[in-house]
Amino acid sequence: MEKMLRDKRVIAILIAPSLIAFVFAVLAPILLSFVYSFTNSSGIGRFTFVGFENYSALAKDKAFWNALLNSALLAAGFILIQHPIAIFAAWLLDRIGGRAETFFKSAYFVPNIISSAVIATLWKYVYNTNFGLFNVIARFFGGEGVNWLGTGRAIWSVLIVLVWHGFGWGMLIYYTGVKNIDPVLYEAAAIDGCDDKKMFFAITLPLMRPVIQVNVTLALISALKQMETVYLLTKGGPGNETQFVATYLYKQAFQSGNYGYGNTISVVFVIICLLTTLFLNRLFRREG
Amino acid sequence: MTDKIKTKFSLGRGIIWVALTLFSAVQLFPLIWLIDFSFASNTEFFTSNLLIIPREIQWGNYPKAFTDGHFLLYLKNSLVVNTLAVAIVLALSICSAYAVTRMRWKFSQTAKNIILLGMMIPIHATLIPNYMIYDFLGVRDTLWSLLLPYVAFSLPQGLFLAASYMESVSKEIEEAAIIDGCGTFRLLGSVITPMMKSSLITVVIMTYLNNWNEFMMASTYLSTSKWKTLPFSILEFTGQYRANAAVQFAVMTLTAAPAILIYVLLSKHITKGVSMGAVKG
Amino acid sequence: MKRILVLFLAAVMLFGAAACSPSGQPANGGKTVIKVFSNLPDRTTGQGLVEQKIFDQYIAENPNVEIQVEALDDEAYKIKMKAYASGTSLPDLISVWGQPSFLDGYIDAGLIAELNPGDYSEYGFVEGSLAGFSKDGKLYGLPRNTDMIAFYYNQKLFSDNNWSIPTTYDELLALAPKIAATGISPVAMDGNDKWPISIFITDLLVKIGGTAYQPETLKAISGGDFSHPMYAEAARLLQDAYDANLFQPGFEQQDYGTAQNLFINGQAAMFYMGSWEMSMANNQEIDPEIRENIRAFTMPVVSGGVGVATDIAAWNGGGHSVIAKSPVKDEAVKLLNYIYKPENWTKIAWENNVCMSAQDFSQYKTGSETPVQLQLIDIFAGATSISGTTINDLGSADFKTKFEDLSQQISIKSITPEGAINALAD
Repeated sequence: MEKMLRDKRVIAILIAPSLIAFVFAVLAPILLSFVYSFTNSSGIGRFTFVGFENYSALAKDKAFWNALLNSALLAAGFILIQHPIAIFAAWLLDRIGGRAETFFKSAYFVPNIISSAVIATLWKYVYNTNFGLFNVIARFFGGEGVNWLGTGRAIWSVLIVLVWHGFGWGMLIYYTGVKNIDPVLYEAAAIDGCDDKKMFFAITLPLMRPVIQVNVTLALISALKQMETVYLLTKGGPGNETQFVATYLYKQAFQSGNYGYGNTISVVFVIICLLTTLFLNRLFRREG
Repeated sequence: MTDKIKTKFSLGRGIIWVALTLFSAVQLFPLIWLIDFSFASNTEFFTSNLLIIPREIQWGNYPKAFTDGHFLLYLKNSLVVNTLAVAIVLALSICSAYAVTRMRWKFSQTAKNIILLGMMIPIHATLIPNYMIYDFLGVRDTLWSLLLPYVAFSLPQGLFLAASYMESVSKEIEEAAIIDGCGTFRLLGSVITPMMKSSLITVVIMTYLNNWNEFMMASTYLSTSKWKTLPFSILEFTGQYRANAAVQFAVMTLTAAPAILIYVLLSKHITKGVSMGAVKG
Repeated sequence: MKRILVLFLAAVMLFGAAACSPSGQPANGGKTVIKVFSNLPDRTTGQGLVEQKIFDQYIAENPNVEIQVEALDDEAYKIKMKAYASGTSLPDLISVWGQPSFLDGYIDAGLIAELNPGDYSEYGFVEGSLAGFSKDGKLYGLPRNTDMIAFYYNQKLFSDNNWSIPTTYDELLALAPKIAATGISPVAMDGNDKWPISIFITDLLVKIGGTAYQPETLKAISGGDFSHPMYAEAARLLQDAYDANLFQPGFEQQDYGTAQNLFINGQAAMFYMGSWEMSMANNQEIDPEIRENIRAFTMPVVSGGVGVATDIAAWNGGGHSVIAKSPVKDEAVKLLNYIYKPENWTKIAWENNVCMSAQDFSQYKTGSETPVQLQLIDIFAGATSISGTTINDLGSADFKTKFEDLSQQISIKSITPEGAINALAD
């Protein structure tokens, strides 16, 4: 058996296609990005190399740091708010079983199937100062209408939407994790007189460790990569208040014509992602 | 005593049921809203009501969406592109996940991390470089120019999920199979894949839905309508300055419908894993 | 499960095989193929319809030509254009914006074909309309239309409430609380897209500095020095509008459609938008009570300003260019020239109430124009000066995004006029 698990030829066959796909679609563009990050390219025509100019400009770019902060806030929202609810919901659905399980499981995922354009439009309606749902409710209770996407408040309103919208993905992954837990363990625990609460903390959570690690990593990366919904909702405004790293990259590379600078952002972006993933790996290893 | 516990229990249950139901209403609302608005006329769109009661149900939005939006051609393209992408991602995820979690070699972790790097690349940074590469290879505006990036960007996530689920599945069945003389590829096909069915279905769902609404790469790499996917039909109702919103909503409903169907059909198969007891017993 | 998967895959393979069959390949036996890349994806209404009509007409007249249209909306268009510029196979005829913020990069990269101005002496292009499409005295493209900014208003609402058309900016601001008192918003503004606010600033600059607007602004942009007092003054006036609640609450995050619908549903008395929206008066989906009462006026004069009422903000934005290295360059230029023959673009656009072209369209008046259409023509014909390209589009693409961001921030007072001027100097 040992010999079989060490068979170099088999390993090569198994892993080579993935590595080739990686080289073509990921490594090549990121290397080009790396080269461009040292240029003043506008994306069209000639450019010159400018050394570390873009990198030092980025270090001083307040809008970029603010975008990074926004991404960090979003990551915190995902991990501290969305994921606990998602784990609990996944566990609960598994416990309920039957048709209710099927129905809720499908219903909870619906926002992730519909295109972001619809989701953004819907939330624009809900947040609308004149006729939006939130202000209609506020006025009904004698309150005053609030400019939900106005300066200072916009980032929180956007965070709510994103944390809500990512819920389906988070739950699906946890749900699969819960399903992978051997039912025999629950049966044994029940015989030992464990109640639901104990089972959740003593069996479900510990066994879900690898899944939680994956899901948290995915959430962190997606917090940095957040693009479409935010862009459609606020275009990163007012000013650059609701800019996230990916939307800011898009703006610089394609709207401001600073293609070289945009690539600098993408290189730094990859480095940040790598560091966070490494940090998480450490964290989970130490915990375990 | 027992009575007391019982009432407490059902009260808790009641609250949970109410919460679950309310939450499902919130989650279903975007779909209801989308369908509702797709039957309205353009002028009714801006209303202080949550839902519109159309003065006249605009069935016409749907035929318009169908005929003017090249709906059937694009639907076919979406199905072909995404299904092929899913099949490739699935196969590659199983193979590489097995190679990095079960096989014993020096660079297993390195290989895994390298592929995972793919998850961290912002898509927009790859648009122009990839365009140049596809242009150079002569695959621009072909099926490959969509398949390649869709597979490459979904594979890391697929591998990541498959590997982690594989780690949490017990090795006993596999080991038994190997001892019985089962080769690696047969092991993958007839032992591991069925055993990891739920996890793999999740990979399929995620790959499918991640790419279903993808537009940025598609619009950059494709030029003629031959391989254009569903999100293009929404575009064809975008006026220069103001969208023809109601018809767009009809198109979006039509675009969402197959995706929802795929999700419902597939998620049924996320079921309890094979029990360890089955082996022991 | 396995069975479903296998069936599904089989179906897909079949589909794929069908798609690979030769039927997908256009048969172009000896035909000249002109590839057009357009920013007008909707080919059934508006300018997209006009463009398509002209193409269809051209193919009918030239059976040996095939025109392949690829169309994306503005944003995807601009990205794809960059991708095209970095590759080897470009389209032949493209949509462009006659503004340095878009066109300069492509001209500098040698991608755009030079045109012969002599070809267009009989085309009746309005004076100055080719300026944005020229660089260093050479012509690189032709403008589709003349755009002008205006306040659309509901005439009936104004007369019922005894509101009069403001003749000064102060009167406009004084009108705001009166309108708000009736429970509706004074002016519907698209603040989410930011450029309408930049145009509002341009409008104010024209009223403050008159014809000095363009030369001063070009100087300011190239020198990064916006210390000329008119910039701070325009910013202050915009902030006065904020204090007077001239725009609907939350306007800075409301998009084009939302702002427009406030107006056409009677929830706003005015709508600040370009002349292309004159087609509202023909839109059968709008309540006739409102539709028939749409009129327009331009930015009133500001106190102490040099600009008079007839100095207006108007420019030529969209147009077409030919790619220099196109293998069918001559054919593409021929098509371009055909599009802009006055009896084509100008006539068809006007008859369909789509827009005012950049050419003389007086001979194509149908007699069935709407009042607002006539009003806008009169304003344009009576203008003593025309601003040309708006301030946000006068510089580089970087300047454009920066300026538009600042416009939005000024309009909600999240930055002071001085702060904005300093930010522009960076």
